[in-house]
Amino acid sequence: MGQSRRDRLREQLIVDRAKSPASTVALVCARCVAELSVTGAGATVIGKHGQGEPGDKTPERGLVHATNPVSASLEGLQLTVGEGPCLDTFESGGPVLVADLAADGARWPAFTPGALALGAVAVFSFPLQIGVVRLGSLDLYRDVPGPLSRSEVTDALILADMATQGIVADLDGHDTADLSWLLDPHVEVHQAAGMVQVQLGVSTETALLRMRGHAFTHDVPLAEVARQVVARTLRLTEDEGRQ
Amino acid sequence: MSTERDQRLADTFVSLADTLVADFDVLDFLSLLTERATELLQVDAAGVILSDQRGGWWPAAGSSEHAELVEVFAVQTRQGPCLDCVRTGAVVSSADLDADVDRWPLFARAAVGAGFRAATAVPMRLRAEVVGALTLLHTQPVAVDDASIALGQALADIATIGILQQRAVHREEIVFEQLQAALHHRTVVEQAKGVLAESGGLDMNQAYTLLRDYARAHGRRLTDVAHEVATGVVDLISWNADARRP
Repeated sequence: MGQSRRDRLREQLIVDRAKSPASTVALVCARCVAELSVTGAGATVIGKHGQGEPGDKTPERGLVHATNPVSASLEGLQLTVGEGPCLDTFESGGPVLVADLAADGARWPAFTPGALALGAVAVFSFPLQIGVVRLGSLDLYRDVPGPLSRSEVTDALILADMATQGIVADLDGHDTADLSWLLDPHVEVHQAAGMVQVQLGVSTETALLRMRGHAFTHDVPLAEVARQVVARTLRLTEDEGRQ
Repeated sequence: MSTERDQRLADTFVSLADTLVADFDVLDFLSLLTERATELLQVDAAGVILSDQRGGWWPAAGSSEHAELVEVFAVQTRQGPCLDCVRTGAVVSSADLDADVDRWPLFARAAVGAGFRAATAVPMRLRAEVVGALTLLHTQPVAVDDASIALGQALADIATIGILQQRAVHREEIVFEQLQAALHHRTVVEQAKGVLAESGGLDMNQAYTLLRDYARAHGRRLTDVAHEVATGVVDLISWNADARRP
């Protein structure tokens, strides 16, 4: 089920990109509204949390994408009141799925009344992150209560994967089709990121980007770079992989 | 069932129940469960894989984190008794993996290459859905007896309950939230293992053991410690050196 859905959504996103110059994250938001029983979709690409290494060319962050004004306001509301599904999704590491906000009013005393006033009755947030590397969140809402169906959650998770991939590609400019690292149950890529961050004295995020840079420059899959790092046959140097 | 085994069984259930407190760590729980499964069921290794809810399966915990075993657990998300088990919802066994190379070429070769000769996978079921599987590996070609399978199923059921118990189980969404969170935490643990492996010159199993020992010594959640290691908040290598100093 998952593979065919993933293939279908990926093909759809390629069609979307051919039609629109918008970012992957913005296209994913639009695709969520088209595919799922939601009224609006928004995403916040969060500010840099890393150590800010010298020479680190981090593109602008804190960007909000939204398919309608209510979604944009919901993103803003969470940042203003400092609580809500998008912040909880980072805390738990999993999605936060609330089919009926009014029935769960005690969870976010400041966010919930504001969200209901905006017309959001059900909210569904998905983290965009790779372990400790927090990139943002994908936040969906609906103007009537009710859960997402099982297949809708599957689609939303796949679309969140694509948004994550899109943000990483925007960060380093390597828009490759190499998804081996996101979809491979071999865990070396995450172990390798941890090793490289120590080798270079950088954050996990920067380590991941350096490994992607090395993979891109040498035209090998990221999973293979990771295997070599973990096997200690490859050490990234200070200059290598930095674009 | 022997008295000794009864006693071990009782001890296991008590220690597992003991971890099921508020705000417990799913990964701690699953790793304890796989360790205890090896003792109780007299198998040589045990692991849990979980559904990623997108049609894929990921290793979540194992009785050890030796590279060969981790590789077997990775391969079994693609092929083998474990994948057959989650697809059919039934227990799937091989009493002689050497003889089952045609059945699962990829998995049987990986498992035999890592020293295993028999495998059994037990489903983790939630109502009509299979959310994961508990795999038991033997280094000898032996058939698992019915009593052990029943006990393995009991452990798999506890694993499912453990993943879901944190919040109101009546909410259908809980399974999505909890499974994704567990897989996310697994990624954080892998990043932390990498940090420790590099900074302490350790292999991945030693790195994992250090992480686990520190968490247990300090009564902390494995996931929280892993997060602090990966973000450079805590230095386990110095702690390890201090702890070993006479």
